[in-house]
Amino acid sequence: MKFIENIGELIIKLLSNLGKFILFILFFCKYLFKPKFFLRNNLNYFINIFISTLPIIALTGIFSGMVLALQSYTGFSRFSAESAIPNIVVITLTRELGPVLTGLMVSARVGSSIAAEIATMRVTEQIDALKTLNTNYYNYLVTPRVLSLTFALPIFVTIVDFIGVMGGYIVSVYKLGFNENLYLLNTIDFLSLGDYLSGIFKAFAFGFIISIVSCYCGLFSDKGAFGVGSATTNAVVISSILILSSNYFLTELFF
Amino acid sequence: MKIEVKNLKKKFSEEFILKDISLTIEKNKSTVILGQSGCGKSVLIKTIYKLFNYDSGSILYDGKSEVDTDKFSMLFQYGALFDSLKVSENIAFTDFINNKTKFEKKVISLMSDVGLDRSIYNKYPSEISGGMKKRAALARALYKNPKVIFLDEPTTGLDPINSDKINELILKVIKNRKMTAVTITHDIKSAIKTGDYYFFIDKGIIQDKGDCKKILKTKNKIFKSFIMGANLKS
Repeated sequence: MKFIENIGELIIKLLSNLGKFILFILFFCKYLFKPKFFLRNNLNYFINIFISTLPIIALTGIFSGMVLALQSYTGFSRFSAESAIPNIVVITLTRELGPVLTGLMVSARVGSSIAAEIATMRVTEQIDALKTLNTNYYNYLVTPRVLSLTFALPIFVTIVDFIGVMGGYIVSVYKLGFNENLYLLNTIDFLSLGDYLSGIFKAFAFGFIISIVSCYCGLFSDKGAFGVGSATTNAVVISSILILSSNYFLTELFF
Repeated sequence: MKIEVKNLKKKFSEEFILKDISLTIEKNKSTVILGQSGCGKSVLIKTIYKLFNYDSGSILYDGKSEVDTDKFSMLFQYGALFDSLKVSENIAFTDFINNKTKFEKKVISLMSDVGLDRSIYNKYPSEISGGMKKRAALARALYKNPKVIFLDEPTTGLDPINSDKINELILKVIKNRKMTAVTITHDIKSAIKTGDYYFFIDKGIIQDKGDCKKILKTKNKIFKSFIMGANLKS
């Protein structure tokens, strides 16, 4: 009996959180179109995200491209299809690995910091202070973070795509002995605009998921140091799961 | 502004924090709310401020249920200054975020009123002491010239000397600006020094009330034991 009670309690809690999250998104949409828009806040946040995340995603891109080239070679050399390596590297990066790996890295780097910052603000009553200063926290805290990250992620993905292809090029040319001009020519010829745009579309979706989940986890965190820790962990775990699961449906959309 | 709270009830996840609170905050007077930690003092003032909704009862502001909360201001327990902004930007927050640039004169004048040196104008909250943070937070609360100021444990975390200085400052500010003040505190000395009237809350209800100057003559047993520093579980 106790077991069933516990399951019921868990389901109620899950549904209640889901309802709260949906309401949160609806409120975000409502205030997105309200005139009070802190332009300086948006711009500052965008620059901060960009500077702090660029080195991490650059490393992610280059090593992903290098590993991809090496692994593809191992497989393709078994049936003499080594020439397909530039094609595989570029299509895998632009359609799949670029957006997903960038999403996961940004969720760990930026999502956790958004959740921790907002949760700390909540614990130290800064959110209440905002209300007493007649400032809507959706306008002041949520909108800048969501917009900045939603628009930053496609730029990050473009950078990861480019650096990843360069990583594949370095390994293919300097380690596997490919002709450098032929490698680049194959890459450019094979890549279509649709491949690139499908990755960019995913990046917009992932940017929105990471930022909205992180803001929600921060704003509705429990009190105290434990609350801040849980908010941070939840933000990264939930957004990573949502990135991976929504990736399937987005891929099917562009299949 | 006169504020009348009648039969106020407020619960958090099925537990009533405020069970039946009725009190009147007189215009231009300093009201002190006393009680042990977790008795609902902060919830009460945040409910009066309209930061929280309540479950039943009523709150009337000069006889009306609606109020423009722009007339209110609050000093939070630990200041609640925004870490990413400088002291001056914190004090002039509303002007700063609306890209108004001409706030320097007003901020410097307020900083002088609350005893802050001009040298911290461009410092961040993490670079100043606890006492300075309280003063900066008070300056921020005064920036919009409120009619009612709520002070949530203004001397928490300060040493006795700084506590005394903050109490004197609060007293001076309230008298000079002719504001209605509502102060939450555990500290009987602060209550006697800064308050006109007091309300003592325990277990979600008002247990005692009266003139702050006569606090020590209270006949209420629970309040007496609170004053003596005893456990309230009597």
